[in-house]
Amino acid sequence: MSEFAPPLGSSEPDPEVNRHPLIGRQRYLVSFLQFGAVLAFVLAIGGVLLPAPANEIASYAMVTTLIAVPIIRVLWLFLRWVRRGDRLFAMVAAGLLTVIVIGALAAII
Amino acid sequence: MTIPALLALALATATIGTLGGFGGAVLLVPTLVLLGVDPVLAAPLGLISVAAGSLSAAPKQLASGLVHHRLGITLELTATSAAVIAAWVSGAVSGTALQGVLAATAFVAGLAGFLRPASGYGPVAALAGEPSAEWPGSLDGAIATAEGVVPYRARNMGTGLVVMTFAGVVTGLSGVGAGFIKTPTMRELMYIPLKVAAATSTFSVAITSSTALLVFALQGRIDPLESSAVALGGLIGGVLGSAVQDALPPVILRRFLSVMLIVIATVLVVQL
Repeated sequence: MSEFAPPLGSSEPDPEVNRHPLIGRQRYLVSFLQFGAVLAFVLAIGGVLLPAPANEIASYAMVTTLIAVPIIRVLWLFLRWVRRGDRLFAMVAAGLLTVIVIGALAAII
Repeated sequence: MTIPALLALALATATIGTLGGFGGAVLLVPTLVLLGVDPVLAAPLGLISVAAGSLSAAPKQLASGLVHHRLGITLELTATSAAVIAAWVSGAVSGTALQGVLAATAFVAGLAGFLRPASGYGPVAALAGEPSAEWPGSLDGAIATAEGVVPYRARNMGTGLVVMTFAGVVTGLSGVGAGFIKTPTMRELMYIPLKVAAATSTFSVAITSSTALLVFALQGRIDPLESSAVALGGLIGGVLGSAVQDALPPVILRRFLSVMLIVIATVLVVQL
């Protein structure tokens, strides 16, 4: 009998025990993206409806959210691949983050 | 253009664009230019629409296991580099030249809507019960379909990277997401299943657009209040479009949108 099989006498299998290990493995990233989408939505509403200068602050915060969330996602993947020894793709992610930083620096200069 | 009018336009283009599977910016930016907005100012608004649309779709696509992060990030190396350079120089390019790029972009997007889906791989019995997922350390993966679990492998990476460079230039110059280039390229050229190609393209487009937006923001080319109106319209339109997408025939919608884009491209060329 597999160690993941339900205990004898149980009427139905435990869904947590029988879950495939790949399902739900990125739930923290999913939650982060959901939070980012809701935050961008709330800030965009603020940018349209609030009086000045609060609308401008909310708008800048919304733009910052739209820029930051995908970049944080790449950073999160980079750290995950480093931790798991997936060196090739960790290097590719590091290369992409470097391109983003160089692009920002070039725009500032 | 007033904020309520911009909000309504962003809402309408995002809803229609999502229904057709293109995203809102490819309709929004040419329409703004047709309404008299300078292409140099329309591009950042297009990127806001792209970033908002891809963010609203991201959680669901990630939870479904359809996004191939390793493939998306590899392709983004060239796409983002090109987008950064294009966004950086776009301020110095004339409005007429940008309008020409936009017309060509809308025309190509219109043609892409008439492409036939590629013939896929077959299911493999040994993988039965596996969920859709990318496989660690490679550009391979599997997708769970009604017929069974279908493994796939990204092919023609070199050619794919060249096409993604072009997609990055289009995004940086015109402010459209270029998902209409990325998804068919992954599907037709790299043999990635359509749903994986679409989800990976959304992930990839989010990175390109946020990086180009970062360049535009640091150059002081973003109007905060107009950005909020476009983002709000894009987020609501994306959700509305996704909600009614399944109830409408996708092929007819896609063809309708393609015809609309070709008409817009023609008008933009006539205006040059």
